[in-house]
Amino acid sequence: MTTATLPDMQRWMMEALIAPGRVDGASVAGTFKPGAHIDAAACLGIYQRSYILRLRQCLIEQFPATAHALGQDLFCDFADEYLRSCPSDSYTLYELGRRFAGWISDNRPDKDLPESERESWIDFMIDLATYERALFHLFDAPGHEGKPWPDGQEADAELTLLPSLVLGHYRFPVAWYYHEVRAGKSPAHPGPASQYVAVVRRDFQTTTYPLSPFHHRFLMAVQQLGSIDAALEDLAAWSQRPLEDVRNSWRTDVRQGWIDAGFFIRRGDA
Amino acid sequence: MDGAVKQSVAQAENPGSTFERLGLGVGLRNSHFDHILKAWPEVDWFEAISENFMDSGGRPRWVLDQIKERYPIVLHGVSMSIGSTDPLDRAYLAKLKALADDVKARWVSDHLCWTGIMGLNSHDLLPLMLTEEALTHVAARVRIVQDVLERPLVLENPSSYVQFQQSTISEPDFLRALCDQTGCKLLLDVNNVYVTCFNAGTSTDDYMKAFPFEHVVQMHLAGHQHCGTHIVDTHDGPVCDEVWQLFRAAWQKTGGASPLLEWDGDVPEFDRVHAEVLRARAYIDGIDPVEAVATRSRTSAATSTPVDFMVPNVMGDSRMQTL
Repeated sequence: MTTATLPDMQRWMMEALIAPGRVDGASVAGTFKPGAHIDAAACLGIYQRSYILRLRQCLIEQFPATAHALGQDLFCDFADEYLRSCPSDSYTLYELGRRFAGWISDNRPDKDLPESERESWIDFMIDLATYERALFHLFDAPGHEGKPWPDGQEADAELTLLPSLVLGHYRFPVAWYYHEVRAGKSPAHPGPASQYVAVVRRDFQTTTYPLSPFHHRFLMAVQQLGSIDAALEDLAAWSQRPLEDVRNSWRTDVRQGWIDAGFFIRRGDA
Repeated sequence: MDGAVKQSVAQAENPGSTFERLGLGVGLRNSHFDHILKAWPEVDWFEAISENFMDSGGRPRWVLDQIKERYPIVLHGVSMSIGSTDPLDRAYLAKLKALADDVKARWVSDHLCWTGIMGLNSHDLLPLMLTEEALTHVAARVRIVQDVLERPLVLENPSSYVQFQQSTISEPDFLRALCDQTGCKLLLDVNNVYVTCFNAGTSTDDYMKAFPFEHVVQMHLAGHQHCGTHIVDTHDGPVCDEVWQLFRAAWQKTGGASPLLEWDGDVPEFDRVHAEVLRARAYIDGIDPVEAVATRSRTSAATSTPVDFMVPNVMGDSRMQTL
């Protein structure tokens, strides 16, 4: 590295940060002068050490419940390996954890086993990280603040789902676990239990609402079909219940509560 | 602006800059949002981290929109990567321009560094090999950035932990040439000068003698961690006496550049941060400095370029509720 061009040197140093073990001492001494009190390798080591500490801390901040569930040491091991495999490819730190849940899933040690033989705690970590990423993204996503909200007097045809509403289905009660951690408790890892949720941000407050599987399917249908009427018909066909029953349940059981919670906005205000 | 500082600024010589003298500023941090919105503290101006707001559709951007109505805003970036040999990120620059226009940024700054290559981002301010090749490369990119932003770019001297065998130009000379060739301006971080010179075993006096103060529009102050054999630029504590002395010497030479305090690790309550930058008054006016306010002990390891302060506390704004 004694006569490197600027691109050569930058490639070399980037690799030295991401994979410190691959850098040989001779190339370090050929690239950098010794510091006042430490040699060239120790000087580079300040960058190498800070690189991983800095980004690891950001992942802890972005996945506090996953870090709690894994424990600090194990989470750091996961984070370090993730950062080596999936170094940041964005100018913003907000994207740092975008691939984290997928990376855990792709790299689970039991991934070649049949699903029935896999470790359930890994499934829990994947779902928890997925949920945390959804919350993190929603926190700063474009929202509806500053615009009018419907009051329930509108016809169904005037309503559309809040564009940023998140519908989630998890194999474990991850939302419960997350908020137990938020409350300062130390919950045990929960056993498998399907959890369906809607996550909404209103007035910059992010709220997770547990849903029944039936309601989750309905909201998914609204999201996909773009219309409450079409979703009611879809739900009636799927559940083999009379359309009027389903429509009545929508109107009397959930409509006003969901509007008040911010699930819907007026089409013209989107 | 504080009266004493305003008077001192008026008295200071300022060779030809049209940049405003903003007074004593504080780096805008997520953990202080609620306090600022409630107390509207008497701060002269705020410096916002560009990347925290250019994509924000949530509360951070809403908070900045409130703050911009009451205080001058300067944008300070950490990901422009002006020294990288990757292509400039045009989408990033377009968003930066839109944000700068929207918040009426008094100026837009970033660092003389590169942050990544091959499409990757280290989220660190990595050192540039200071050669004629690098000068030509960076100058060309500064011109492009200034064309997009439609304003001069302000570049900061970074903290450095290495010196390249191949470097042929000193940092002050590199910055002077860059300003002369492009019309860009400078943000002089006196803590970074101290850190870089200590780590390299070079003289801060020599650095300051060579520095092109006539191009400086802003100054940074920050704390660091002294590790015995080297210093790490941690931004996690009060400014040390040696850095204050550098500030005292440099500020007059800049003609009254706008000082700002950065506190990014173990961030204390707002009033403590504000009190630290107000200590600059004494050094500006040449009177006995105010005694430093006690600060809690550090809790973090010496990590350069801390960035976790940029990650919002999402958990704090989340709840679970049944209908």
